[in-house]
Amino acid sequence: MLLAGGKGSRLHSLTKNLAKPAVPFGGKYRIIDFPLSNCTNSGIHTVGVLTQYQPLLLNSYIGIGSAWDLDRKDGGVTVLPPYAETSEVKWYSGTASAIFQNLNYLYQYDPEYVLILSGDHIYKMNYELMLEYHIEKGADVTISVIQVPWEETNRFGIMNTDDSLRITEFEEKPAEAKNNLASMGIYIFKWSVLREYLIRDDQNPDSSHDFGKDIIPLLIKENMKLYAYPFKGYWKDVGTVQSLWEANMDLLDRDCELNLFDQSWRIYSVNPNQPPQYICPEGNVSESLVNEGCKIEGDVSKTVVFQGVTVKKGAVVKETVIMPDAVIGHNCVIEKAIVSPGVYVPDGTIIRPDQGSNEITLISEETIGALQSN
Amino acid sequence: MNKRLLGVIDATTVHEDLHELSIHRSVAAIPFGGRYRLIDFILSNMVNSGIESVAIFPKFQYRSLMDHLGSGRNWDLNRKRDGLFFFPAPNLDKHYTGIGTLDHFADNIDFFERSTQEYALIANSYTVFNMDFQPLLDWHLKSGCDITEVQKAGKSLGIYLVKKTLLKDLIMTRNETGYSNMRDVVTDLDSQFHLCYYNFEGYASMVDTIEKYFKTSMDLMKPEVWKELFPKERPILTKVKDEPPTRYDVDASVRNSMVANGGMIEGTVENSIIARGVKIGKGTVIRNCIIMQKTQIKENCLLDSVIVDKDARIEAGTVITAPTDAPAVIRKGSVQGVGSKS
Repeated sequence: MLLAGGKGSRLHSLTKNLAKPAVPFGGKYRIIDFPLSNCTNSGIHTVGVLTQYQPLLLNSYIGIGSAWDLDRKDGGVTVLPPYAETSEVKWYSGTASAIFQNLNYLYQYDPEYVLILSGDHIYKMNYELMLEYHIEKGADVTISVIQVPWEETNRFGIMNTDDSLRITEFEEKPAEAKNNLASMGIYIFKWSVLREYLIRDDQNPDSSHDFGKDIIPLLIKENMKLYAYPFKGYWKDVGTVQSLWEANMDLLDRDCELNLFDQSWRIYSVNPNQPPQYICPEGNVSESLVNEGCKIEGDVSKTVVFQGVTVKKGAVVKETVIMPDAVIGHNCVIEKAIVSPGVYVPDGTIIRPDQGSNEITLISEETIGALQSN
Repeated sequence: MNKRLLGVIDATTVHEDLHELSIHRSVAAIPFGGRYRLIDFILSNMVNSGIESVAIFPKFQYRSLMDHLGSGRNWDLNRKRDGLFFFPAPNLDKHYTGIGTLDHFADNIDFFERSTQEYALIANSYTVFNMDFQPLLDWHLKSGCDITEVQKAGKSLGIYLVKKTLLKDLIMTRNETGYSNMRDVVTDLDSQFHLCYYNFEGYASMVDTIEKYFKTSMDLMKPEVWKELFPKERPILTKVKDEPPTRYDVDASVRNSMVANGGMIEGTVENSIIARGVKIGKGTVIRNCIIMQKTQIKENCLLDSVIVDKDARIEAGTVITAPTDAPAVIRKGSVQGVGSKS
């Protein structure tokens, strides 16, 4: 069950018309390609995708799931939007309520285990190994955790465990953390346990219907068997303009743990089917990722360039993410920025951080409009 | 859309002068332009013109062609009704010549009987062009022709438009008339048919020799040709590969080249076409070359005017140069070292 209803409000105008899981990433992908590819590579062929916020693009992107080999006769991908019942229309008020309202979908398959994922993170993970661990531990719930730097523990949900990694306490964004194991928002539940707790949670009028805030603390309180599954590898929440930019820049590092070139764990996406990129006689590209359909006439370095982008003559682009179909005009200078999809940056535009600043500029239609009216 | 037109692609062609590139594959399946196969152009043109039923007639070495086309999904031809059909020659001993071999069609006459389309467009599989066939059909109907041949500057492009009932007659009477293919029909001076010629104004190149292959590939780097071949509204479609974007290293220097996805470029590339998943090592210089899919070129090589077929490996320090008008060809899967002969 892939929770893909996130609004991603800290991504500002990028998520104005788009759910966070549909935000472009890595020169070719959308964020949701990562959990969907992980599912298909882990041998999970029945995936429910729960959408709510701005679902149009996300729904059409997922389609029947063929891009991830999830167009199956049995199972496959099913988009699960909120729906109206006889008495009322129920929006998904929290992560738990979203799954609760789709219990019928789960009853259909009556699985032994349910994997709950979020569509907000960039990582590669074999969920099959996590399931093996879950079974081996005889757990009711297994939560995937990652070590985060101690100074950042106040941004995460922190799991306190005993020596056997059994979870004894869950602290949401603690000021003084006792541990640095952060929840990655990936849960494996015994189906019977999930069902029981979701039904009970729904009947609790004081609940906010959230896994982290309500379900997990209650499970711990009632002494259920919750285990932490330590994950090692690349994992990044790309919830802000800064972190989205950083994660893209990480890909330019040859030794990045997130290897997109790994044939055995491919990240699938809807391929744009555009002609190869054309690097013109005047163009130059270094330390960059460039996708199909681009035309590069300018100087591009340390930059991630999505499909269909044009960089015109004399433009210099550095440490930037250029999203699909954007055009960088003649003689522009762009540094440390994210250029939104389809934006036309007019000739001669100069956007770079002030001396000593490292702030990332999000270049959207509005930014360009504001520059022009000045 | 265009329910009136049936697409027929003759993929039987063998060109002796393309031998080096067609040992393991039919001419239709020769890789082109970094991510395409030659057949993608005619097939995409048909689909973009609204043709919903396309039959491919291959003969030799069609494994790679079948693998490439699959169910036709990438061209939106995986349909319940109509879609993509594949009719390999049942008999390899039969000698087929020219485009649109009537014998081969006769072996699959059921297809022509069953399809509902009124007209058939018969085309070769190795022309690089981007053409809308709708105006051709309109023109054919207006001028009351029996058979229209598409030409470029007075030369045949090996593409014929004919009413299907007439095509069926031509197939059935081939032994009496002596016509063995469509070219025979349109070049017969005593023809009883009303033959017409339709001039195609745009870029078109029939790839039938290594030199032509090389020249047509290099033409892709001319902006006016690129624009004509790859307009957004009439895309050339191909089999997608889920390759990541191409990674350019800090030492990479790429000029006037077309580069497909999944590559790792650490060296210098000029006036070249680099296909999907190619690796080019540090200190290597690639000039006027066509490097096909998944080929690896190690460090400090110099390649000038070379066509390197798929899955080849060029060991570090190798130098291979040839004159631009007679490019060298490195065969698929071969390994070239410093000491080996090129």
